[in-house]
Amino acid sequence: MIERYSGISPKGDLILLRKLADRLADKTFLHINSTREGGGVAEILQRMIPIMSSLGIKARWDVITGDDRFFDMTKKVHNALQGYPETIDEDMWDHHRAVNETNATLLDLEADATIIHDPQPLPLINFRKNGVWIWRCHIDVSNPQKDVFGEIGKYVSKFDAALYSVSRFAGGMSRNEFIVSPSIDPLAEKNRELGRNEIEETARRLDIPLDRPVVLQVSRFDRFKDPTGVIMAYRKVKKYNDCVLVLAGSPATDDPEGAAVLNEVRQFASNDPDVRILLLPPFSDKDINALQRIAAVILQKSLKEGFGLTVTEGMWKGKPVIGGAAGGIPLQITHGVTGFLVHSIEGTAFRIRQLLNNSDMAGRMGQQAREYVRRHFLITRQVRDYLAVWYALSEGMKSLIEL
Amino acid sequence: MEERLSRETQWPFEFRQCTTILKATGMKASNLKELRHIISIVSDDSIFHHTYQYFLKEHILEYTNDFAHWAGESLEERAIAEELSNIDPYECGSIGELRSALLSVIDSCLARVPGDRNTLPGDEFFFNETITYVFPAGVWARNLAEFLMALKFVDAGSIYYHFYEARMRVPGSFDDFSLWMDQALNKKELADKVRAIDPFMHSTSEIRAYISEIVMQEVSRDMERTGVNL
Repeated sequence: MIERYSGISPKGDLILLRKLADRLADKTFLHINSTREGGGVAEILQRMIPIMSSLGIKARWDVITGDDRFFDMTKKVHNALQGYPETIDEDMWDHHRAVNETNATLLDLEADATIIHDPQPLPLINFRKNGVWIWRCHIDVSNPQKDVFGEIGKYVSKFDAALYSVSRFAGGMSRNEFIVSPSIDPLAEKNRELGRNEIEETARRLDIPLDRPVVLQVSRFDRFKDPTGVIMAYRKVKKYNDCVLVLAGSPATDDPEGAAVLNEVRQFASNDPDVRILLLPPFSDKDINALQRIAAVILQKSLKEGFGLTVTEGMWKGKPVIGGAAGGIPLQITHGVTGFLVHSIEGTAFRIRQLLNNSDMAGRMGQQAREYVRRHFLITRQVRDYLAVWYALSEGMKSLIEL
Repeated sequence: MEERLSRETQWPFEFRQCTTILKATGMKASNLKELRHIISIVSDDSIFHHTYQYFLKEHILEYTNDFAHWAGESLEERAIAEELSNIDPYECGSIGELRSALLSVIDSCLARVPGDRNTLPGDEFFFNETITYVFPAGVWARNLAEFLMALKFVDAGSIYYHFYEARMRVPGSFDDFSLWMDQALNKKELADKVRAIDPFMHSTSEIRAYISEIVMQEVSRDMERTGVNL
């Protein structure tokens, strides 16, 4: 399977991947998160597990289950860690622990390395059996609500290492904190090359015009993604340039606020026929791929962001992306080189107009964006980093390792 | 034919490369005084990463180390950025010496600059370290023509390893490429051309292009001479 990335991923990543896999062959690598579908974490795990298995590592992915109360609470934790004020009382933390305790009896926690993704399954650390335990934080915890951060930190300090997407997210919760950017899979349905027919079929079915420029934002319906701000920016652009705005997202089972935000956005769009709000079913990967290829400009106007894999996806399609200067977006977009960073609705509108009116600049930025993603944000690099952290922990954290 | 064979060395050049995994130290600076304090206490690994390994990253080369980059771009203290950029880590005999050189520049700036401005939240200097993996790139060159092909083929991490990182390993602070040209191929003049490249003024992709160009000229000259003899 890894051979399929030859000619796409950087050669050095593939070589190091094989060398690390040789040393970790037949060992077990367990990943645990809280949803099988929706959101970047589930998406990347779906792709990563087969790659690791093909390298000879016994990789597994388990998902914890919980009731609505559990997911309401973990959504509040998620919001609070991203700086949005929330009240989480002792009963809620007790429920968080209890749900994980139940899950611990159902899951096989025997593994040579275990990665716990995000805060939902964190208390599983209390049921650790063997091997290396790593917490993978996918969210922006650079300005967290202190009390929630403190509670989460009590769990994180028990791990051997914690992984963050961006340097400024690392919060001193673990003795070994690594920076590992997330990634996309260039061979996945969402990112593979599409034929003209496939793109046109999606456009016909979703009623997206191909004769006018499309401005696209793909994301969950989440206030931190500022969908109403995107509509306001579109309205400013529309005075000068005819275009169609597409807001596309899928529901996520661990996000109970999604439906409420979707309703708000629909009301705010107030039946403008050129604002298309698409609630796509999970696994609409080919449609998202086609929409990104149809788009003239891609937006990710996040106010808070973990890393922003939709930015990476858009860049991989060779499109100029306008991103909010939040979370991991500035790590991907070098302002004016691989896209534009914006700080306001006005800035977003201005950059959309600039790109719609200068196709040469848009094309050049798009190509630079694609090459930047190839070097830094493909799945092979992320698998490489996971194995490299695991191997370094098992080798006593030497600063130089020769293979 | 004998002449051509003689140019194939018994000491092939084995391309290696390095890749780093970034590790946070948990320390960050919001202003120059904090930067100075942390530089004075942070690990040697962190100083190494923010100076020597600067060229492993793909910067738009306005500066020569992360401290200068941050002072210029985040603090907007251009003069300090310029002075920090002029520190040559390869002239320092140790990380301790380099640390002292950095502190000396910052101290002199702090004495001159009246106020010490803070960066915006989120734009602080985050001190990191790395775990460096070194491994063979799977490419060998037995002569200059093969070297030329290989140079175009290897990743930027290989150029960094042989051109920058080598200066810490090779006696005389040379790069691996010129050492091989000099000692294995007996091409002192070519080696001197490679050694004349100012490492601080180029990115790895420019280094690759520049060395490719001078090696191409050498291979062309060799081919023309060999062609007459053949």
